Amino acid sequence: MIIKLYRMKNLLLLLSILFFTLSCNKDFLNTVPKTSIEESQAFNTPNQIIAHLNNLYGQLQNPIFYGGRYIIFNEQRGDEFGQNDGNAATGSAVWNQNVASTNEYINNVWSAAYTAINSANILMSNLNTTTVISDSLAKIYIGESKFVRALAYLSLLQTYAKPYNVDKSALGVPLRLTPITSSGFNDLARSSVEEVYIQIIKDLDEAEKDLPVSNTSSYLNTTHAIKSSAIALKTRVYLNQSNYNKVIEEANKIVSNTSPFVYNNNGITLKLESSFAQIFSGSYTGSESIFSIAFANTTTETPPSQFSLAFNYNVQPIIFLATAGIISDPTFSDSKDSRSLLIGLDKANHKILKKFTINTAPFRDYVPVIRYAEVLLNYAEALARTNQLNQSIELLKAVRIRSNVNYQFASDDIVDSDKLTNTILKERRIELLGEGFRLQDLQRLQKTLPAKSGSIGTAPEVPVTAKNYIWPIPSGELSSNKLCLPN
Amino acid sequence: MQITKPAQFKFFNLILTSVLIFLCVDMFSQDQSILGKIKDARSNIGIEDAIITQVNGTAQCKTNYLGEFTFHWNGIFPIKVEIKSLGYESKNIELNNFDFIEIALDEKLEQLQEVLIVSGYNTIQKKVDFSGAVANISSRQLLVRPSISFDQLLGGMAPGLDVIQPSNILNNTPVVRIRGISSITSGIFPLIVVDGVPLFTGAIGGIIGNNPLADINPNDIQTIDILKDASSSAIFGSRAANGVMVITTKKGKKGRAKVNYNNWVSISTPYNLPELLGAEDYVMIKNEAMKNSGREPGYKLMYDKDGVLINTSWYDVAYRPGISHAHHLSFSGASNSTNYYFSFGYDNQNSFIKYNNFQRYTTRLNIENQVNKYFKAGAHIAYSNGFNKGPITGAIPSNTLSSSAYNSQYILNEPLGRMTYVLPPNVPVYNSNGSYSIQNGQSVGYGLNNPSTIGTINAYNLAWVQKNDVNTSENNNLTGNIFGEISFTSNLKLRSSFAINNLLNENTSFMNPIHGGGASSNGIATNSIAKYYRKDLVNLLSYSFNLNKVHHVTFSLGHEQIRTTINSWGAERSNITDPYYTGYQGGFVNIAPTGNTLTENTLLSFFSNINYDINKKYFLSLNVRRDGLSALAEGNKFGNFGGGSIGWNMYNESFYKNSSFPEYINNLRLRASYGLVGNSEIGDYPSIGAYTSSTYGGNPTLKYAQVANPDLRWETSKKLDLGLNFSLANERIFVDFDYFKNNIDGLILKAPQSLSSGIPGNFINANVGSMYNKGIELGINSSLLKNKNLKWDLGVNFATLTNKVTSLISDVYVPSVFGVQNMTREGFSIGSIFAVPTMGVNPDNGLMVFINNEGKAVQYNHIGSPRWTYLDGSAAPAIDNYKDGVIQGPSLPKYFGGLNNNFSYKNFELNFNITFAGGHKLYNGTRATNSDQRYFNNGTFILDRWTTPGQKTDIAKLQYGDNVSSGFSFSATSKVEKGDYAKLKNIVFAYNIPLNNSKIGSQISSMRVYAQAVNIFTLTAYRGSDPEISINGNSINSGKDQNVPPNAKVFSVGLNVGF
Repeated sequence: MIIKLYRMKNLLLLLSILFFTLSCNKDFLNTVPKTSIEESQAFNTPNQIIAHLNNLYGQLQNPIFYGGRYIIFNEQRGDEFGQNDGNAATGSAVWNQNVASTNEYINNVWSAAYTAINSANILMSNLNTTTVISDSLAKIYIGESKFVRALAYLSLLQTYAKPYNVDKSALGVPLRLTPITSSGFNDLARSSVEEVYIQIIKDLDEAEKDLPVSNTSSYLNTTHAIKSSAIALKTRVYLNQSNYNKVIEEANKIVSNTSPFVYNNNGITLKLESSFAQIFSGSYTGSESIFSIAFANTTTETPPSQFSLAFNYNVQPIIFLATAGIISDPTFSDSKDSRSLLIGLDKANHKILKKFTINTAPFRDYVPVIRYAEVLLNYAEALARTNQLNQSIELLKAVRIRSNVNYQFASDDIVDSDKLTNTILKERRIELLGEGFRLQDLQRLQKTLPAKSGSIGTAPEVPVTAKNYIWPIPSGELSSNKLCLPN
Repeated sequence: MQITKPAQFKFFNLILTSVLIFLCVDMFSQDQSILGKIKDARSNIGIEDAIITQVNGTAQCKTNYLGEFTFHWNGIFPIKVEIKSLGYESKNIELNNFDFIEIALDEKLEQLQEVLIVSGYNTIQKKVDFSGAVANISSRQLLVRPSISFDQLLGGMAPGLDVIQPSNILNNTPVVRIRGISSITSGIFPLIVVDGVPLFTGAIGGIIGNNPLADINPNDIQTIDILKDASSSAIFGSRAANGVMVITTKKGKKGRAKVNYNNWVSISTPYNLPELLGAEDYVMIKNEAMKNSGREPGYKLMYDKDGVLINTSWYDVAYRPGISHAHHLSFSGASNSTNYYFSFGYDNQNSFIKYNNFQRYTTRLNIENQVNKYFKAGAHIAYSNGFNKGPITGAIPSNTLSSSAYNSQYILNEPLGRMTYVLPPNVPVYNSNGSYSIQNGQSVGYGLNNPSTIGTINAYNLAWVQKNDVNTSENNNLTGNIFGEISFTSNLKLRSSFAINNLLNENTSFMNPIHGGGASSNGIATNSIAKYYRKDLVNLLSYSFNLNKVHHVTFSLGHEQIRTTINSWGAERSNITDPYYTGYQGGFVNIAPTGNTLTENTLLSFFSNINYDINKKYFLSLNVRRDGLSALAEGNKFGNFGGGSIGWNMYNESFYKNSSFPEYINNLRLRASYGLVGNSEIGDYPSIGAYTSSTYGGNPTLKYAQVANPDLRWETSKKLDLGLNFSLANERIFVDFDYFKNNIDGLILKAPQSLSSGIPGNFINANVGSMYNKGIELGINSSLLKNKNLKWDLGVNFATLTNKVTSLISDVYVPSVFGVQNMTREGFSIGSIFAVPTMGVNPDNGLMVFINNEGKAVQYNHIGSPRWTYLDGSAAPAIDNYKDGVIQGPSLPKYFGGLNNNFSYKNFELNFNITFAGGHKLYNGTRATNSDQRYFNNGTFILDRWTTPGQKTDIAKLQYGDNVSSGFSFSATSKVEKGDYAKLKNIVFAYNIPLNNSKIGSQISSMRVYAQAVNIFTLTAYRGSDPEISINGNSINSGKDQNVPPNAKVFSVGLNVGF
C-alpha cells in the first residue's frame, strides 16, 4: 500500500508537471502571419517604400482596369466593335448598353480605381512622415502617387459621371483624398464633375513639379510616371474639358515646334516610332510610349484570358471590328498604310484587330495608356479648334505619314477649322483603334452612342440624355455609402 | 498484495481478481442449479452480462461471455425468473425442470432510459440524466444504406439536423446544418469530433470534390451524438456555434471475437434530367428567334455520311451508368482488460459522370487496455487514403474549409453540367473521319451552323475535354487519439489525451492545350499540396460522489490546447512544349506559384463541468469554458462561455407515480437550458492589418491586403432550449420535443465597406450584426408492432426553423454579371432568395414584363430601341437587379424532417426513409439557362413560347441573343420556385439468412443480404431536376440551382456477414 500511494504521488506529480508546462506557455496564443507583412512593419525600409510605389502601378495593372478589361469595356460601349460572344462574362451586357448596378464589372472597375486611389493616399501619408528615405526621394514618390490618383479619378469620371461638356455641375464621384485604414468612412457624397476635374488637374500640376524629367532606364521612363507623363495626361484632361488653350500650353512643353516632332530632355526622347507595328511589340518601352502598363512573363501578373486585350480582339475573338465602324475607312484597305496590316480575319470572316499579338497566356503585351501619337493628335485638335491650322496639319501629317509615307490629305479635308477637326477626329479613330479612346471621344463631343450590330444581335443607340449613357453607380457603393446618389 | 512480490506476479493477481469479480459468481450458497444460455433472437449469438433474477426472490446471476449461465437457487419449482439485458426486451419465464434451457431475447427499440449520450471529452451519461438537447443516431440506423461518408447518411435522421446532398459529384461535401445557419461570414459547419479528434471539415478538393469527412468509414461508427443546445455543447466553448457532432467509433465487446464483412455493389444513373430539344426542334426554335430579331436564320440540320440526322444527346456523351463496389472487414473483441476493434475498408465508386472515379482505403485500430486498477490507456487510430478523379462539373464551390463559399465554377472554365445543357444538338461529336469535331480552341465544331451570323458558341466539345482534362484530389488522412486515464480512487480520475489530425491533401488539374479551358494558355497543369495539421491536448480531472445515495455529483476540470496549421503550396505550369505531355511534370514554358498558404491558429482553454442530481429527479448541469484564441488581438483573445441546464424527471416523483398519469404518459421529463457559445472559425489573422507581396513588371510590390481591427472580439450565440420528453402507450412511443432560440450577437462579419473606401476586399472584419434562429423540434420513435415474427418501428422527426437577421451594417451579397440570387438583408432570413418581380408575358406583344421599384410595369424588347419601355411604349429606365429586386422568401427550409420506417417479418426486413423540407424558395437557374436565346439548347418547355398576339404563356417571344427575359442575366421571379419536397430517399429490402440449423451456422453467426434503392421518387412542384441541388454548398447562399449535373438514382445489393 505504501508503494502504491508513493507511485500514485509520482504519477500525480508527473501529470501536474505535464499539465502546467503545457498550459503555461505564454507565447502559445501569439501567432503571426508568415505570408503577409504586418502593417506596423511594412514601411520600414527603402525597399519596402519602393515596393509600395510599384504597387500603385500594380493597382492600375489590375485585369479589370488598365491591365485589360477597362480598355475593352470602353470599346464595347463605343461603336467600333461588334460583339461575337453572348456570354455575360464576356461583357455582352456592356456591349448591349444594358448593365445593372449589380453587375460585377460595374462594381469591380469602380473598386479597382478606388483601391489604386487609397493605395496612393496611404503611401503619400506615409511619405509625408517617413524617415526611411530622403525628402527629395519622398517628393518624387508623392508626385508619382498623385499621377496614379489623377489617372484613376479621370477613369472614374469618364465611366460613371456625365461628361464635363454635358454638365460639369452634375454629380461626379466621391472624392477621397485621405488614407482609409479603418472602418467608419463609408459615407461620402459625390463631388461634382467639375470639383473632381479640379482635383485631377491639381494633382497633375503638382506631379509635374515634383517628378524628375527622366529615370534611370527606359523601362522606368515608360512604366513609372515622370514629368512628361503628367504633362501628357494633362493634354487629355484639358481636351475632355474643351479647354484648348490649356491643351496647347501643355502639349507645347513636350512637343517641338517643327516636324519631326520630338521631345528631348536630359536623357529622355519622346517621338513617334518609325514603324507602327513596333509600338505594340518588341520592347514596349520605345520612344513613343509615355505611359504603359508592364507585365512580367508570368501568369501571376498577366490577365486571365477573358480579361486580356489579345484574347478579346484576336484569339477568341470576343469582339470583332464592326463593318459600320472606322474599319470601313479606306485607310484600312490600303495596304500602304501600315495600320491596315494589323487587321486580320477570324474563321467567321470578321475583321479583327491584331495590335496585341501574344495569343497564348501569359498575355503579356504591354498596355499603352498614353502614347506620343495621342499627344500629337490632342495638340493638333486643340490647334485646329483654335484656328492654328498650319501647325495642326503638320501634327496630323506626322501621325499619318509615319504609317503611310506618301500620303497626301485631300485639301478639302483640311481646309478649315471644322473640316480639319473632323479629319483629326477620324485620324484618332484610325490611330487609336482598340486602345479605349472611342467612348471618351464620343462623350466629350456630346454625341449619341451609335447603334451597332454584332453576331449576337444589335445594340440600340444611346442618346446623351439616356440613363445608360454612363454606367450606373455600383450597387456595392449604394448599399454601403448612404450619401451616394445613384445615376 | 504483498509488497515483496515481483511486478508481473502482482499484475497476474490483479487480473485474476478482476476475473473473479466479473465472472458470474454465486450470490448465495444454494442447493440447486439450472444451466442455460441467453441468446439474441435474431443472430443466435449468446448475450453476455444478461441478468437472470428470481421474481419475488433473491437469487440472481449473470451470463458469461458465451451467454451461458448457471442459476443457483433453493431448488423449488416452479420458479419465475426475469431476464434483463441492455438493449433487449426483458422476459419473464417460468422454469419447471432442470433441463438446459435456451432463452432468446428480442432486441428492443432503444429505450429512453438506456440511450447513452457521449457529450464530448468522454463524458458518457444516460439520456434520462441529461438535460441538454441532443439527438442520438446509432450504428444500426446508419448501416441501412451504403455510403461513402457518414454525413451523407444523416438526412432526415434527427430533428433539427438538416443534411442536403447538393450534387452527386463523387465525394462532394454535403450541406450540414444543426439548427440553421449561425453566422454570416464566419464558419457555418458544425464541429465534428471523432473519438476526441476534432476533424477538418469543408470542401478541399479544388475543382473536384473532396470531403475530409469521407476519411471516416461509416461502418466504423458506433454512435453519433448531435449536441444542439448550449448546455450540451458549451463544453466546446468557442467552437460550438454551429452545433457539435460527437462521433464514437466501435469498440470490441467481450464475448467471442467477432469478424464482420460487409460489401455492396451499386449502379447509379442520373435522376430526372431536364428534357432538352432534339436537333429538329432546336434548329426550328433558334431560327425562329433569329427571324423574330430580323436576322437571317443561321442554324441548319446536318446529316452524317449515311444520311442519318445528327441529333447529339450531350447527356449521353457526359453520362453513363456508374458501377461501384465497397468492402469492409472488421475484427473486434475484448478480454477483461483489453478491448480492440480493427477494420479495413475499400471503396471503388464510379459516378454516372464518365471518368469520375473515387477510390478509398480506410483502416482503423481502436484499443483500450486496463493496465491495472489505477491505470487505463488506449488509442483510436485511423488512416485513410482517398483518391478522387474527374472532370470539372461546375458543382463544386471554391476551395474552402468551413467558411461560406460562393460558387462561380458553374459558369466558368468548362463545367460539364452547363455544357450538357447548352451544347447544340445539331452538331456532331465526331467528324466523319472519326476526329473530334472542333471549331477552334474555344468552340465545339459548328456543323452546318453559320458562324458569322450565330456568334460564338463558347462551349467546348464535351467529349474531348471530359476525356483529356483530368482533375484529381487525394487525401492521406491520419487521425489518432491516444489517452491515459488514472483512477486515483473509484471516483477521482485524471484523463489525458492527445489527438492529431494530419491530413495531407494533393490536388492536381490538367487542361489540354488543344481544345478547352487550357487552349488559350496552350495547356495548363496545376498541382498543389496542402498539409492540414491539428494537435489537440486535453487534460481532464473528474470527480464524482454520492451523498446519502440521494445527491449525485460529478465534477470535472479540464484544460485543452489546440494548434492548427495549414501549409500549402503549388504551381501552375502553362504553355506546354509538346502536346505529348498530360501532366504537371511534363514540359512547359511558364510556371507561376499558386495556392500558397501558411497559417496557424491556436486555442487555449480551461473548462469545468458540474452535473448534479437529486435522487435522479432533479438535475442541474453547469459548464464554463474560457477560451483564448490566437486570431484575436491582444486583450480580446479570451472569451468566456458557458451554459447551464435543469431537468426534472417528473416520473420519479411519488405524486406522479401515484397518479393515473403513468398509465398514459410514462417517463415525463422537463428540461431547460441556456448558455453562451462562440465561433472560432473566423480565419487565422482577422484582426491585423497586413500587406502582401507580389510583383509589378517583375519588381517587388507590397499591396494592402487587410484592414486591421484590433477591437475584433468573439462572436457569441446565446442559446435557449426548452425541452420535454415522454413516452406513451406503455413505452411504445417515445416523444422528444424542444423549443429553441439562438441569438447570435456581435457577428464577425466581413463588414462591407463602400467600394470607394478602396480598402482590400471592400470589407473589414468587424462585430457588426446580429440574428436569431428559432424553432421547434419534435422526434417521435415508436414501436408499433412487436411480436415473435412481426416487428414494425416507425420514427418521425420534424423541425421548424425561423432565421432572421436583426441588424446588419449593409446588405451582404455577391455582385455578378449573372444576377444576384441570394441577399442577406436586415429584417430577413439569411441568404434569402432575391429577384426582380415579373408580371409574366405581355399577351399583346410577347415581351416579358417586369415590375420596377416604383411599382411600374416595364417590358423588355431585346431588339428594341429603347429596349426598356413602359406598357405604353415610352422609354423606361432599365431594370436593375439591386434596386428593383425584392426578397422572395427564405432559402432555408422553414420546416424539415424525416420519416424512418423499419418493418420486419420473420427474416425479412423492409426499411425506408423519407426526407422532407418546405417553406423555402429556390432559384431555378438551370431553367434560366435552358430558356436562354443564344445558341444554348433549350428545355422542351420552350415550345410553349409566345407566337401570336393574345396568346397567354409564361415564355416570352423568342428573340435571338435574349438572355434577359428568362432570368439569366439578372434574377427574375419567373425562375423563383417553391422548394417544398418529400423524397423517398432510400428503400431497403433485406433478408437475414437463417443459419441456426445449418452447418455453416457453426462458422457464421449472421448473414444478411439486401437490395436497396436510393433517390427513387420525389414529390415536389419544383420544375428543376431535384430540389436538393444547390451550387453553393455549405454557404449562406443556398437554394440556387444552376447548371449542376443532376443527383443520382442508385440501386445496390449488399451482403453483411458476421463470423
